[in-house]
Amino acid sequence: MKKLLSTVAVAAIAVAASLGAASARDQIRIVGSSTVYPFTTAVAENFGKTSGMKTPVVESTGTGGGMKLFCEGVGEKFPDATNASRRIKKGEFADCNKNGVKDIVEVLIGFDGLSFAQSKTGMPMKLSRKNFFLALAKEVPDADGKLVPNPYKNWSEVDPSLPNEKIEVLGPPPTSGTRDSMHELFMEPGAAEIPAMKALKEKDAKAFEAAWKSVREDGAYVEAGENDNVIVQKLEANPKAFGVFGYSFLEENISKLAGVPIDGVAPSFETIADGSYKPSREMFVYVKKAHVGVVPGLDKFVAEYVSDGATGEDGYLAEKGLVPLPAERHAEVSKAMATLEPMKGDELK
Amino acid sequence: MTTAYFLILALLTVSWFLVGRQRASSIAGADPASLHSLPSYHGLFLAALICLPMILIFIVGAPLAERYIEARAFSGLDPATISDELGRSAVLRDIQSVLAGNYAGTATPELTTAASAYSSAASITSWLLLIAGIAAALVAAMFGFRLIGPEFRARNSVERLVKYILLACSAIAVLTTVGIVFSVVFETIQFFSKVNPIDFLFGLQWSPQTAIRADQVGSSGAFGIVPLVTGTLLITVIAIAVAGPLGLFAAIYMAEYASPRTRSIVKPILEILAGIPTVVLGFFAALTVAPFIRGSGESIGLSVSSESALAAGLVMGMMIIPFVSSLSDDVINAVPQSLRDGSYAMGATKSETIKKVILPAALPGIVSAFMLAISRAVGETMIVVMAAGLAANLTFNPLEAVTTFTVQIKTILVGDQEFDSAKTLSAFALGFVLFFFTLVLNFIALQIVKRYREQYD
Amino acid sequence: MTDIASTNDIPVTDTPRDALVKKRYRAERRFKFYGIAAIVLTALFLSVVLLDVLFKGIPAFSEYRLDLKVVADQALLDPQKTGDRTTLLAGNYDKIIRDALAAQFPDVTTRADRRALNGLLSSGAADDFRRMVSNNPSLVGQELTVPVLLSDDADQFLKGYQTNEIVLKGTGTLTQTLNGDAYALRSSGDDFGKAFQEIQAFLFQRLDRLHTEIARLEKTLQGMEGDAAESLRGQVDTYKAEAETLNARISDANTAIELDDKLPSLLVNVNGGTIKATQISPAGVDGTKLITPKSAEPASPGSWSILTLVTPESNRRVQDQAATWLEQLKASGTIERGFATRFFTSGDSREPELAGIRGALIGTLWTLAVTLILCLPLGVGAAIYLEEFAPKNRLTEVIEININNLAAVPSIVFGLLGLAMFLNFFDLPRSAPLVGGLVLALLVMPTIIIASRAALRSVPPSIKEAALGVGASHQQAIFHHVLPLAMPGIMTGTIIGMAHALGETAPLLMIGMVAFIVDIPGGITDASTVLPVQIYLWSDLPEVAFQAKTAAAILVLLVFLFVMNAAAIMLRRRFERRW
Repeated sequence: MKKLLSTVAVAAIAVAASLGAASARDQIRIVGSSTVYPFTTAVAENFGKTSGMKTPVVESTGTGGGMKLFCEGVGEKFPDATNASRRIKKGEFADCNKNGVKDIVEVLIGFDGLSFAQSKTGMPMKLSRKNFFLALAKEVPDADGKLVPNPYKNWSEVDPSLPNEKIEVLGPPPTSGTRDSMHELFMEPGAAEIPAMKALKEKDAKAFEAAWKSVREDGAYVEAGENDNVIVQKLEANPKAFGVFGYSFLEENISKLAGVPIDGVAPSFETIADGSYKPSREMFVYVKKAHVGVVPGLDKFVAEYVSDGATGEDGYLAEKGLVPLPAERHAEVSKAMATLEPMKGDELK
Repeated sequence: MTTAYFLILALLTVSWFLVGRQRASSIAGADPASLHSLPSYHGLFLAALICLPMILIFIVGAPLAERYIEARAFSGLDPATISDELGRSAVLRDIQSVLAGNYAGTATPELTTAASAYSSAASITSWLLLIAGIAAALVAAMFGFRLIGPEFRARNSVERLVKYILLACSAIAVLTTVGIVFSVVFETIQFFSKVNPIDFLFGLQWSPQTAIRADQVGSSGAFGIVPLVTGTLLITVIAIAVAGPLGLFAAIYMAEYASPRTRSIVKPILEILAGIPTVVLGFFAALTVAPFIRGSGESIGLSVSSESALAAGLVMGMMIIPFVSSLSDDVINAVPQSLRDGSYAMGATKSETIKKVILPAALPGIVSAFMLAISRAVGETMIVVMAAGLAANLTFNPLEAVTTFTVQIKTILVGDQEFDSAKTLSAFALGFVLFFFTLVLNFIALQIVKRYREQYD
Repeated sequence: MTDIASTNDIPVTDTPRDALVKKRYRAERRFKFYGIAAIVLTALFLSVVLLDVLFKGIPAFSEYRLDLKVVADQALLDPQKTGDRTTLLAGNYDKIIRDALAAQFPDVTTRADRRALNGLLSSGAADDFRRMVSNNPSLVGQELTVPVLLSDDADQFLKGYQTNEIVLKGTGTLTQTLNGDAYALRSSGDDFGKAFQEIQAFLFQRLDRLHTEIARLEKTLQGMEGDAAESLRGQVDTYKAEAETLNARISDANTAIELDDKLPSLLVNVNGGTIKATQISPAGVDGTKLITPKSAEPASPGSWSILTLVTPESNRRVQDQAATWLEQLKASGTIERGFATRFFTSGDSREPELAGIRGALIGTLWTLAVTLILCLPLGVGAAIYLEEFAPKNRLTEVIEININNLAAVPSIVFGLLGLAMFLNFFDLPRSAPLVGGLVLALLVMPTIIIASRAALRSVPPSIKEAALGVGASHQQAIFHHVLPLAMPGIMTGTIIGMAHALGETAPLLMIGMVAFIVDIPGGITDASTVLPVQIYLWSDLPEVAFQAKTAAAILVLLVFLFVMNAAAIMLRRRFERRW
């Protein structure tokens, strides 16, 4: 008898589960960049508190990983929105379209500086983007301008004014949007400053691109995973290491970490907002228009995101380290988002 | 509907059990021994006859009913809104919330119509299902009821059924293994179609973060597991170096010297240690032990990485002490008293007896205890995830950061479910190696224990 | 451990003949000592782990709140006077609280200052207020005292984790001279001398570091040529100049030292105001006001004090201005430390002060419920079959070996199984307790099977034989006689297995239970997380306050585990039978 009853219970559970899974999702699901994650979670939390709807579930998967998931298709199995610390690429947009994800709404939420940081207990350093390239590229030009595998072990070998310490940089893996930004904001401009590389660029643009898009793999650059917080913790523990991550993480940890001035400008709220700190980038959230009205509250969530209270100049995201858009630009974005205008995709590269 | 159905099922089952039992007793009358089976077996027989068809009908009928209900609900709707899976599931959710009365906003007339169609269809089908279920059950029960009699071997039927259920239970364990093997083997084969197994097994470089887009240059995608093997080995060696002596001495003391009172104090300590979740130990290793090792290392002029293999290894060693000690304790206890008595009779001291007689006799068992501890250490995840690094350094310096199989599996798979790239698949290949390795280790260890037991039993 | 000694203390006479015996006894004692040492070390480690977690976790169970007098303004909360709950939920409570706070500090006029002041409050500061009013609409329009939660930084500051504070009571009379915005404070006693010396010591340290660096660079410079040497020389010169200025600042014991944000902060509390020192000399300080003193009268000895915040301002998240505000609020008695019930009643949050474990706890309950319902009947069934009914053949042997091996398969491999089978193949929902429970059930089933078999085996065969002897069938003997006697053992094994499942993290990471989930899960298919995963997630966060939360969550987890293990031990003690 006991046996029988327990069998019945098991069957009931299995059946109930299969029925439960059949009804549609009423909770927004968001994936994507770890850099945008703190902002989106803050908005999600606020949205849940004030709208009376379910709080969206946010998972941190990296910009690239998030795009992959986001573009896999339309339907409740797929996420409704993805965070991105860079703009969607043309290839990704095409992927999306191929899988039936047609109307993608692009929400520009603000700026983030890409910072190169170290522990406060370490010896402060100053760095140029050229030296950044020389320290981390897989291949660097030698005295004759020929590309050779990166021979530098210590910072002082790259430039004697730098400390005589082992090069140890913790940074994001290729799935991360921050990694793309690192290449585009640090490596490419840095490479372009080296005469030999400049010559290469004119001669063979492909080879030049390959040079600034490759990072050395001999242990000097450590891929620390998607979670920027891990890098923060590691830096704190090791004053001789450096880390590459979004400014918001630096801001959050300003008592422990210091931003390394790049080309003479230290990253700060002001220098990023006025553009004098060069390595800064735009941050996005991409939303599937097809899911609006299907997953309840998605439009309201976007509205909350672009509201003055969130991404405005004094919004709560500014406190989390997001550098807000200039007032007019923000007004423009909020207006466009009222109608959830999908992007066309021809402006992408 | 589901609840009602299973409630009725339970009700019918219980009542027919009573009916069957009653019937059997009344047939037997004053002479219970005239029945082949006890009355309650007749009851159980009927109950099983009720249960099985009803469950069967539900498993077949419920999905059909669902489909019918959906079709009815959709019939009145604009085909455009339900053209794809997404729209359909959204409409269904709306209908359900309308019916539950918590629809946000006001429902459109179409939605209300669809909702009423849905609910009427739902009630019709649930009644149908219920009636069909009950009818089938009753037919089966009537059939069974007629069988009840002094000659009917109800017990044998019920016992046969129970035996099959029990067999199915133990088959689950085998199915789990099959499931594991299947889930890793397929992906692993796929992985090896992209990466040469020789490179995988003997490559000296691990750098799985390949580019995920055509226009991106990731790392070159080296999938050589040698650095992972050495990393795992290094941490395991440190762990065993800690847990081996400590666990073994603790076991010897517990088995040979300790008074029953001491045992009753020390045993729970070891049990508590064994019960501490590894995520807690990981937190401890990362936040307390690693900075401590780093600090003390630097103060004597050593360069210690912030996530040294030493920190993870030490804490892991502490984790496996209870394994080593309790397994060794068992094998030492299993050494026959006659061996000890013989040694004492020769005038040996206790420690001499232990060293010269008991340990050699228990050696196979102790070796297998160590092997089980090793397999535990190799497969441990959270401590290394939190306290060891991601840097795949090929080194044997315990002060440097190393990475392990489990760390890499976790790093590659969390938040990433793209099942066509070598990167994701490599995690399954790692899982396969891990599974295979621990399996072999355990198998050998268990065989040793078995043979050792036979020797003294 | 007092009764271990004295089993081998046989008196040994001290003759040369007995030297060997003595040596042997020494070896004996040494050997025994190793055993004790091993056990003591293990116990020591265990207590260090537990104490460490306890020490780190205790602060998270309390929180600082500000009791603020506010008026529940009709115009801001419910302008239409609907009294409707949804309207009341959406009211602008933050503004009321922020205005009430600003009213306490008339000095705060600029936007930047207001932002800094609002930064003292948690972003969920209005939650309690909102709950009070929406639950009781009659409060609208009334004057109330509401508890307002402080931000994690303010909380950490008040708990003393941001900086050490040193308070020195003034011994002389303090005079203030106001020159434009700058205050000059002079004491008639030697109050500033000690502070001055400490600052000097601080600067000497910094100078030492610079000198070491210069020496190092100059050493590398030797024998270097060209551009590289040039730029290095430039670096050395910069450092030298820096050392020069630093030297000048501290050369004279009487010259005033400029204070910057890399030195400890000196705050002088006088006449209800606070002056921050920008320059210090043994005689007194010059500084700017953080809060305007109520009067410019000289302050008598004992009525004023110097507050030193030892951690330099640039290394602190709470700046001097905010610290001053907090000190004043604390002095006025409106800040209170209370038990953080929120920790048990709310879900996860990105704000440490708002984050709670309720979501994870409920998720754990759902997951464990699924696990228990699946693995108990299956495990016991399998155990009975293998122990009693299985024919001795190859198949049975395979199943047995299989189960033994399964018990030692790394848990992360079960995560792979869950990912590949349940998520990818069966399409079950991600992050759901259903899948988590399934995976954990498979994970702990071998444990339960092995424990149940041991329990069944420990029932003496005579019981079964007696039952068979009086005519019971095999199954009757098992189900009616052996199983009830084995039940305590089976239950003990099950509880231990469930405790194991409760602490398991790795396989759940694989199946997406690592998302940011705020809502409390309402069923086995809702997205949720479990306690150990929550611990892992929090341990990764950068905010310092989360470290305490992590440790506190660990404490809760450990309490559950201890309760379960204690239950298992009780059960064993109570029902254990020696045959």
